[in-house]
Amino acid sequence: MELIQQQLPIVLHSLNIGFLQTLKLFIVTLLGAMPLGLVIAFGSMSRFKPLSVFTRVIVWIVRGSPLMIQLLIIYYFPGLVLHNPIWGGGESGRFLAAAVAFIFNYACYFSEIYRGGIQSVPVGQIEAGYVLGMTKTQIFLRVKLLQVIKAIVPPMSNEIITLVKDTSLARIIALQEIIWAGQSFMKGSQGISGAIWPMFFTAVYYLAFNGIMTLLLGWLEKKLNYYR
Amino acid sequence: MLNASNLMKSFDGLGVLRGISLQVNEGEVVAIIGRSGSGKSTLLRCLNNLEKVDGGTIEIDNQALVKNGVYCPAAMQRKLCLKMGYVFQNFNLFPHMNVLRNLTEAQCCVLGREKDQAQKYARELLQKVGLADKEKAYPYQLSGGQQQRVAIARALAMDPEILCFDEPTSALDPLLTQEVLGVIRSLSAEKRTMVVVTHEMMFAREVADRVVYMEDGVIVAEGRPGEVFDSDKVRSFTGLGD
Amino acid sequence: MKKLMKAVSLLMAVMMLLGSVAFAETDMEYVKNKGKLIVGITDFAPMDYKDENGEWVGFDADMAKAFGAYLGVEVELVEIDWDNKILELDGKTIDCVWNGMTLTDEVKSAMETSNAYANNAQVVVLPTAKANDYADAAALSGLTFAVEAGSAGEAEVAALGYNMTSVHSQADTLLEVKAGTSDAAVIDALMAAAMVGEGTDYADLTYTLALNSEEYGVGFRKGSDLAAALNEFMAAAYADGTMMAIAETYGVQAAIIPQ
Repeated sequence: MELIQQQLPIVLHSLNIGFLQTLKLFIVTLLGAMPLGLVIAFGSMSRFKPLSVFTRVIVWIVRGSPLMIQLLIIYYFPGLVLHNPIWGGGESGRFLAAAVAFIFNYACYFSEIYRGGIQSVPVGQIEAGYVLGMTKTQIFLRVKLLQVIKAIVPPMSNEIITLVKDTSLARIIALQEIIWAGQSFMKGSQGISGAIWPMFFTAVYYLAFNGIMTLLLGWLEKKLNYYR
Repeated sequence: MLNASNLMKSFDGLGVLRGISLQVNEGEVVAIIGRSGSGKSTLLRCLNNLEKVDGGTIEIDNQALVKNGVYCPAAMQRKLCLKMGYVFQNFNLFPHMNVLRNLTEAQCCVLGREKDQAQKYARELLQKVGLADKEKAYPYQLSGGQQQRVAIARALAMDPEILCFDEPTSALDPLLTQEVLGVIRSLSAEKRTMVVVTHEMMFAREVADRVVYMEDGVIVAEGRPGEVFDSDKVRSFTGLGD
Repeated sequence: MKKLMKAVSLLMAVMMLLGSVAFAETDMEYVKNKGKLIVGITDFAPMDYKDENGEWVGFDADMAKAFGAYLGVEVELVEIDWDNKILELDGKTIDCVWNGMTLTDEVKSAMETSNAYANNAQVVVLPTAKANDYADAAALSGLTFAVEAGSAGEAEVAALGYNMTSVHSQADTLLEVKAGTSDAAVIDALMAAAMVGEGTDYADLTYTLALNSEEYGVGFRKGSDLAAALNEFMAAAYADGTMMAIAETYGVQAAIIPQ
């Protein structure tokens, strides 16, 4: 116990730095994947057959293969195959590669949720907008959008909470997120070695952050419950 | 006012409209009756551009929406259809907007009316359909009959020249049917031009200036209610008569 | 996981063969042209670790910086996942692995390695209470060992033919022993000295006999001319005493091999 008290400030400092990296990846992924997912959703619903088939194949590949492999491919392939390590070896390059992999992966998951949400709006709603003289854009923004958002908030909440935890996969390309930081004390770092507890302690960060996310998303869901 | 001739429409090779011609004059109430699947709803949807015809001509105010199967540009289509109002069988109110907003949304974004002006007009119309006290309610809080009356007010808010009803009471139980028919009746008293697809034979007979009886995608009988309902073909369908 | 990595490496190797047609410049030219030597490391005191200011120091880190100065390039120390060191080298995200790496046959066949510069051993880690019962290798036969996948320790236990479990890292092997899921672990002597015993979470563990003796070296991309350059540098640095001076700073002078 006394030992832990001595180690605590050093460990927390490291974990905070690691968690900042986790948080950064989480936010960048959300900001990138939410709009990209919409583009992919429209692609997969396109009436232009080659585009919709192509998009659906991409979505199948990305959703059907492990994110860990996608991280390895995106980070190492440019150097291995093209002899041009575009990401570089530094921390920022690793982060960028991880962000690209996460954004693309999550955009594909989001696109399927969006597609379900858009298709869940009854055709009668679109027709009602049409007979009132609205343009397609007006129908999308004024009639469909909020109904789509209401439909997708619960499944999106699930994905977002999964994303918080999935960020730990980025350590496969040595992105030093919080679990990496916690584990470093097992083999030894900053004068602390053989300390097991920091790794388990990282779970507290995840729990706290996911707690906040759950409250936030729950609030949004409730906010949208003003109609049925 | 509305002139349709020789309309053709088929779904998967099945002829739903097979050479329909129909004229609607100003101030006239036309009732379209017929069995399920006779094509009467499809006809109304084609007149409102919710379905595209395969052939034929539709003119609204002497301007062609479609001429011999060729449609005018999309912007023009939308403009022409603004002259038409449409009330759905299952209301299709916007669930995420309250009653007042349902009535003002298109007034503002399509007709460019000021919000105050749109709300004032919306309240007048709600008064007219007897729902002045419901402007803050959301559709899910209303009965079917109330929802349909809001839908009628929403269509009226756009000041259409012709108001179309697609089986406006089919989704309602008999008690609620009367309140909706009451509203339509009062509209006919104002000499509004209306096209009503309906199963309510008594109502059609009472309100319509002209009745159109359809069977298998063609008009079989057409004329004053008394004449049409008394013809043998129609009598076997309606079961009404003397 | 390991099989997966192997499959990916294989796939990448095939694609590399297809891709490596035009490749005119040598590795040294490549590094000099970009003006930076990227050194792949892990947090592994006393070879590579962070000081109070967050700067990477240690015997290997300081030697790497000196080598960079010798080449006239900047040195960037980058923490990597040890499992992926060959991927990192071949993918050119790092230029060398300099982190107390044991020169095993596997390492030598996958990388261009430098001359050995330090001695090490693989030692057995046991609960202190049981340590006296297992004084020699023969007595260990009934135990289950935890080893790091792909490590020199794994090779030693495999050679003895004893039961073993391969886990993700050397640190995980100790977790196995502590948790009682394995009887003993086999890890680097330098690491064992830092990780077990008093002042650690493994106060009730100790390390006993050495299963082998082995040597540390630096790894470069296969075919790289930088390995030879490093050998020249180390010979000079040993001759003028700078190498031993650095070793004394980190207390590893006893392990250094004369160049």
